[in-house]
Amino acid sequence: MKRKKCVAMLLAGGQGSRLGLLTQSIAKPAVSFGGKYRIIDFSLSNCVNSGIDTVGILIQYRPLVLNRYVGTGAAWDLDVAEGGVHILPPYASQTGGEWYQGTADAIYHNIDFIDMYNPEHVLILSGDHIYKMDYNKMLQYHEKTESDLTVSVMEVPMEEASRFGIMTTDEEDRIVKFTEKPAEPDSNLASMGIYIFSWPVLKAALLEDHEDSDSEHDFGKNLIPKLLSEGRRLSAYRFHGYWKDVGTVSSYYESQMELMEDTELDIFGEDMKVYSNSNTHRPLIIGAEGSVENSLISNGCRVDGVVKHSILGSCVIVEEGAVIEDSIILPNTTVGSGSHIVNTVVNEGAVVESDMKIGDADGETQVYGETHLSF
Amino acid sequence: MKTIGLISANYVSGDFGDLAKRRTLASIPFGGRYRLIDFALSNMTNSGIGTVGVIAPYNSGSLIDHVGVGKPWSLDKKTGGMFVMPGSVFGVANTGNRFLMRDFITNKEFLLKDNADYVIISGSSDVYCMDYRDLIKAHTESAKPITLVTKKVTDAENYRGFFVKTSEGKVTEITTKSFGDADYFMDLFIVDRKFMIDFIEWFDTLEYMDVVDILCEYLEKFDIGTYSFDGYYGKVNNLVSYWKTNMDLLKPEVIKELFNPERTVYTKVQDEPPAEFFTQSNVKNSLVAAGCTIKGTVENSIIFRSCEIEEGAVIKNSIILQHGVIGKDVSLNRMILDKNVTIKDGVHVDGSAESPIVIGKNKKI
Repeated sequence: MKRKKCVAMLLAGGQGSRLGLLTQSIAKPAVSFGGKYRIIDFSLSNCVNSGIDTVGILIQYRPLVLNRYVGTGAAWDLDVAEGGVHILPPYASQTGGEWYQGTADAIYHNIDFIDMYNPEHVLILSGDHIYKMDYNKMLQYHEKTESDLTVSVMEVPMEEASRFGIMTTDEEDRIVKFTEKPAEPDSNLASMGIYIFSWPVLKAALLEDHEDSDSEHDFGKNLIPKLLSEGRRLSAYRFHGYWKDVGTVSSYYESQMELMEDTELDIFGEDMKVYSNSNTHRPLIIGAEGSVENSLISNGCRVDGVVKHSILGSCVIVEEGAVIEDSIILPNTTVGSGSHIVNTVVNEGAVVESDMKIGDADGETQVYGETHLSF
Repeated sequence: MKTIGLISANYVSGDFGDLAKRRTLASIPFGGRYRLIDFALSNMTNSGIGTVGVIAPYNSGSLIDHVGVGKPWSLDKKTGGMFVMPGSVFGVANTGNRFLMRDFITNKEFLLKDNADYVIISGSSDVYCMDYRDLIKAHTESAKPITLVTKKVTDAENYRGFFVKTSEGKVTEITTKSFGDADYFMDLFIVDRKFMIDFIEWFDTLEYMDVVDILCEYLEKFDIGTYSFDGYYGKVNNLVSYWKTNMDLLKPEVIKELFNPERTVYTKVQDEPPAEFFTQSNVKNSLVAAGCTIKGTVENSIIFRSCEIEEGAVIKNSIILQHGVIGKDVSLNRMILDKNVTIKDGVHVDGSAESPIVIGKNKKI
């Protein structure tokens, strides 16, 4: 088999506990987003749009929906003869087995997988970011600068810098210091959690880190600072464009509402198209009494009520007299007649009974209902 | 009892104006995101039929682009799957025949190489959802070699094609003329595979004839049964019926039957984003596909994928195929716009005086 230039490893095993009810029964990367997508669509589409055809998806927490959704990878053209998408669960060996201890530990346990493809470089991704990015440009930068590790960074407002992993760089954008959530940041270059390692360097670092009993086996906390202290060449790759971590209910809500505004993320654009594994649903129907304004509506929906400034996922039914405002209704949900939903994320497959009043227009966005999955 | 499927897509029509000028009927876009053949193919898949032959016309570009290797219908398989086969080329377009003998003679191998008991043979341009397993069961129980599927109609004079009369469960007459109540042949039949192979050999000198015409001529020689379908049947054989069958999708009972979650109508997926409705949009009683951006007024209409409808535009009783661009303050009534049509700002067109007016592909008005 031909040696792969770059293999992507997508970390999709985290619980995403700050999303509460949304991740009660599904992993964060599999949470519905923007009507017909799931969060992982953005990373997987970026891979295929960047010419990366070999992707390992590391799973651990509640993987069933994610596994089913990714399937053979055909939806992203990742069902290729040599390579393609691989779901990688934790596994036992002759010496026993255990859950992943951290992000680096997850990759450590899949060294054999990466070695099967024997790539020059490994791209580490998170499955919970919303952005369009050409990883190939980053890879070219990584090769041009002859770096051992390239970290994708973006400028954030200085006052928000203490929420991120902050890179301090020299005039050539070589990383001289890395601080996780600094109280007094001396730079505003935030790590986006996207790394390209030269595989031999990463492999050696993982083996060493595994033996270190003081390590938390985390890329940001342990591995990257260690490589820095060893004098390895670490470069910052500046990304300009839309990027959002959807780790909280408010960022999850806001980043979807932004889809209806003019942001740098153009999901409608043919450029770097976002693919999804949605089922084949009929076009949406707006009934004679229905009314929709300023909203995104997915296929399979039927609207007989009023929808304002909201997003409806696939196959949402809005019955007569129901009013939905400033809300996101996840797929396969029925909103009963006469109900009024405002400033709320209604969970996938939830049922909103007739005449229910949900949400507080002036308060924080709430998540309503438990996930009921059906396909 | 194993059944395979054979779909004839080798016929065109002069009754669709510009819409079928360069397309076979099978690949005419329908219902916002589909093409007509999706219904025939999905019926096969949803009935557990995993081997399906498609007889393609000479102008098969749009058809092959759409069906590919059959992936959307789960027909990309190692064993069985989809077989796209060559149809005959006609000196003049084949507008009448659905089941031309020559196409069966040419593609006899498809029937010979399988070991199935039955073959379901269908056209490719009508809109219905049928569970063929019920048909297979009825056919098996009848012990007849051929069962024609019919639909009861009350206005036979409005249908072109064949009508079937029976006596004691046996077909006694097949005719092209009928009035009022009649049993209309749905371009769909089930036949014993071995009988079909024999039939092709017996009549191989009649290669210019339609299978149904031959049955009609030699009726007394065969024991032919019928099966009456009582579901929704959208006959699409001219512009008016195309328009009407599209508009039927706005009826809740029709949409419920055709798009039953238990029986998906599969089609080639294009990965369009959800439809976006702007503040000024006003959409009533309409079907809107993914990827559209809507700022104007839409009533009683079918809007296909990725259309843009600008502010002040008013669209009524119309069908707009994919990538239509409707300018500001345009007004359209009872129009059919083919793919990639652009209507410039302020243009008014009303097709209600005639049958719907078609505007051809890629035109700018």
